[in-house]
Amino acid sequence: MSEVVELPMMTEMLALLFLTPVIASIPIAVAWGMHPRPDWARKLPVLSVAGLFVSLCVALYILFNIGELSPEAEPVKHTIYWLPEFNINFVFIFDYLSKLMGALTALIAFLIGVYGLEYMRDDYRLGWYWFFFNLFTASMLLVVYSDNLLMLLIGWEGLGIASWGLIGHWFRDDDELTYVGILKRKVAGLDMFWSPSTGGWRAISTIRIGDMPMFFAIGALYFLTGNINISEIPWAGLEEKIGVAGVVILLVAFLMGPFTKSAQLPFSEWLMTAMTGPTTVSALLHSATMVAAGTYIFMRLSWYIEPWEHHLLSYEYVYILVLFLGLVSSLYAALVATSSLERKVLLAASTMSSLGLMFASAAASYWVGKFAVLVAFWYLITHAFAKATLFLVAGHLIHETHDRFLCGDTEVAKKLKWAFVATVIATIFLSGIPPFTAYWVKSGMDGVMHHLEHDFGLLPLALLVVISAIYSGFLGKFLSMNFFKGKKVHLHLHGGGIMSTAYLVMVSMLIVILAVILTSHEEPFKEFVKEGLLTSSFAVGVIVLLAYSFGFFKPQIKSPIGQFLSDRMYVMFLNDYIVPKIGWAIAKVVDYGNRLIDFTCHQAIPGMFEVYSHGVRFIQNGKLERYLQIVVGFVLLIFVVAVAAGWMT
Amino acid sequence: MIELLASLIILTVGAALSYKDIRISLVASIVAVLAMMAGGNAYSALILSVALLNIFSLYAMRQNQIAGVDYALVAIMAVATLYVFMVDDLAMMLVLFMVVSAPTYLLVMVSDEKLNVDVGIKYVTFMVIATVLFIIGAVLLYSATDPLVYSLAFLMLIVGLSMEVGIAPVHEWVPDVFASADPIPVSIIASLAKFVPFIIAYKIIIATATPSLWPLLIVLGLIAAVSMFAGNIGALTTNEPSRILAYSTIANMGYILATFVAVTAGKEYVYFAIAGGLLQLFVNSFGKVGYFASIKNGGTSLIPAYILAFSFIGLPPLMGFWSKLFIIYSLVYSQFIWLAVILVLNSAISVPYYIRLARLLGTGWKFNLMSAIVLFASIAMLITLIPPMWFVDLVSLMKGV
Repeated sequence: MSEVVELPMMTEMLALLFLTPVIASIPIAVAWGMHPRPDWARKLPVLSVAGLFVSLCVALYILFNIGELSPEAEPVKHTIYWLPEFNINFVFIFDYLSKLMGALTALIAFLIGVYGLEYMRDDYRLGWYWFFFNLFTASMLLVVYSDNLLMLLIGWEGLGIASWGLIGHWFRDDDELTYVGILKRKVAGLDMFWSPSTGGWRAISTIRIGDMPMFFAIGALYFLTGNINISEIPWAGLEEKIGVAGVVILLVAFLMGPFTKSAQLPFSEWLMTAMTGPTTVSALLHSATMVAAGTYIFMRLSWYIEPWEHHLLSYEYVYILVLFLGLVSSLYAALVATSSLERKVLLAASTMSSLGLMFASAAASYWVGKFAVLVAFWYLITHAFAKATLFLVAGHLIHETHDRFLCGDTEVAKKLKWAFVATVIATIFLSGIPPFTAYWVKSGMDGVMHHLEHDFGLLPLALLVVISAIYSGFLGKFLSMNFFKGKKVHLHLHGGGIMSTAYLVMVSMLIVILAVILTSHEEPFKEFVKEGLLTSSFAVGVIVLLAYSFGFFKPQIKSPIGQFLSDRMYVMFLNDYIVPKIGWAIAKVVDYGNRLIDFTCHQAIPGMFEVYSHGVRFIQNGKLERYLQIVVGFVLLIFVVAVAAGWMT
Repeated sequence: MIELLASLIILTVGAALSYKDIRISLVASIVAVLAMMAGGNAYSALILSVALLNIFSLYAMRQNQIAGVDYALVAIMAVATLYVFMVDDLAMMLVLFMVVSAPTYLLVMVSDEKLNVDVGIKYVTFMVIATVLFIIGAVLLYSATDPLVYSLAFLMLIVGLSMEVGIAPVHEWVPDVFASADPIPVSIIASLAKFVPFIIAYKIIIATATPSLWPLLIVLGLIAAVSMFAGNIGALTTNEPSRILAYSTIANMGYILATFVAVTAGKEYVYFAIAGGLLQLFVNSFGKVGYFASIKNGGTSLIPAYILAFSFIGLPPLMGFWSKLFIIYSLVYSQFIWLAVILVLNSAISVPYYIRLARLLGTGWKFNLMSAIVLFASIAMLITLIPPMWFVDLVSLMKGV
């Protein structure tokens, strides 16, 4: 299934790719911990960014020099042997998905790293920040390039711990600017504001709940097939081995990891409160890469399972689940984003919405074929650049306005020109307004959903159009409430050169992609253009444009429904009330068990021994009469036993 | 045979001449025992050690009522114990049984102050019944043709043995005697006097074993289990050292009785069983001599006290571990796994009171004869730093096995 290609120096290059970022961040991590902290410590982040640059170079080399860049090309694999007898080795795969995704990750990480040099310049905990930032990048690259599920898990766990460390970066919880929600506000007794440390906890605990079934699923896959390389597992043969129900359970267990990591319902709350972390973190992890890891894994799985070829019942059930989970999550998130009052929470909800669409589109591949996966993948790429740009702009705005809520009028647009330009480009290119980048990709998605007409009627397509409209609406709102119709704010202008450069380069990638789509004769771009030129697609594009304009000119409508949506339909009760209550109930039961064991070992058993001991010693009253009574009695008893024994044999 | 005669003459002459100076009897007794050791194997060496420890501890109470003669009494017990290794005819074995038992009737009453007659009466009553049951049982076993008579005889032998050495549920003399009599004679009863009954019982049962033995073995196993539990549980709440040692004896005798169930197993397991039983007897002997000496002395150094305790508990590489290992090995391979489990459980239950004993007696070192005895007893526990497979081979040398 894959060609055996000579890859000279590949092991060394991979070492560079994964290890340079981590090693480059060790100087600042160590220097920051020294007492007293040396003055030159604040200059060391440059080293970390240099490490990211090295990774970027390697990723680009892999993109352009290893194998052919085509969806139909054979994947190229590189194996570092570890336990060949068990078929567990470090297997790296360079196929269409991993090459592009790797380059995307490295580029975005590098740009945000550069942005972070200025954004985090005066922070009090740089060692921690840069170490986890680079660890995250290395882990994400490991996830992207791994064919081996065990190695992927290592990267997966690295993502989780880096996410916790970075979200909870401002652990002192002393800055109102770092919180999510309106402070001191409560609904039905539950706090509706979250601190950075709470945010970090919510992230890691939710992700963990997904990781556990994923571990078991990987173990089960190894047990059933003796293979844990995604491209080699005989996916089609599983149904014979464990039946339809077995495969459904296995796959859903496996997908719990991606669902929690990509914040689909009901695991979405952590992403919203992950906004307590620095904006660079939100841009890298929670828009472009980490949360996309879940969808990326699903796409990679679909790429190799090829469910459109086999048409097995178990896969049909799973893919229906993913399709509608994605669509419903997307709709939920779009509604929440529409009514958000905070810059970053709006963007976080919008990310969740996009992730849902990625899942849905990739799931549609069961009925549509590989093209659906390609649509999802290019939407991921487009979304990554656009959303990262918007987050970086939001960070810049928060820095300059000292306010995390949506605010700013035309004065801001004039004073922060480049932020305004970047926002305009990013929102228009992402919303799906023709003829800009996302329009073509979204048209592909419309086509995919339309194809599902035979199985599900017009429901998927209708949902997609509604979601697209709402999405576009809040993008317009974002632009409006920060640069046009928001309330007046006082600006503290200082610097911003490096930051602007970073997000301008980021947003220009969207233009690059647009150029590629329009000029390339390769798949899938040809198909995107074909879909985009259809009248139906154009009609959707017009709806989207109208929604954008509506959001731009009327960004705020105060109503009870709006408050309900702004409170995220009270899903946080699941995280902050229901699940903790279940946990406490379990703890109580375990406590009873503990107390029972305690009682048995420290009271029941010793007491029993004491009673028997006194009993044994009680016989000794010093009088020979009693002793002889016992002896004679025993001897007579023995005679009886002897007779019985003699009789038996 | 000639060594036997020589030993007996030497020790008798020594006892007679002891009115002049008791040290003559001391030397003569030691010489007598040495003379008996003509063959010279590990068993004899160990018995010699026990006998020497007993004789020297008697020297420490040389103001007693039968000073001088007491050494000869111990010597004759030792001679008999050495000789029993080499005999297998019933008459001689029964004679040796009496030779070992009778001196103890006298020794138990002896002390530094006045004669302990009450204790003597209790002790002798039990011993007489024991002897009667044992002898009748032994004789009947050899002449039994009917399974009913065989069963009766077998169990009479076992009950006699139980009463002689102190196995529950006929153990009642042990706590009273151990607590009331002088520690040193008690240490002799608790050590040297236990060997011959068991060895004779081993030989008789092996010689007369029949296939109809199996229900009797279960009864035997049950008695052993009862003894183990009674001894160990009884000791848990006792605070007096000599009583703790009494219950410890009851438990240890239970462990040794358990080895009898392996007699119908293959040859190899029989060797392990007897080796285990004998080694446990040695552990018991050295341990009791050591502890009673320290009770007489009013305490000893912590290290010997703990070594003795750990050996009793069964910690490697001390002797107590190996003895229990051999016993468990023979039990498991004779399909008496439940008994092996009970034995292990009992070893665990016994830990608290041995530690308590060590703490009660490990008060401080004094430079005198008694302390030397304790020291030597604890050193003896260390000889199994060389794994005692040589001991198992030794058993195969025993006549009548």
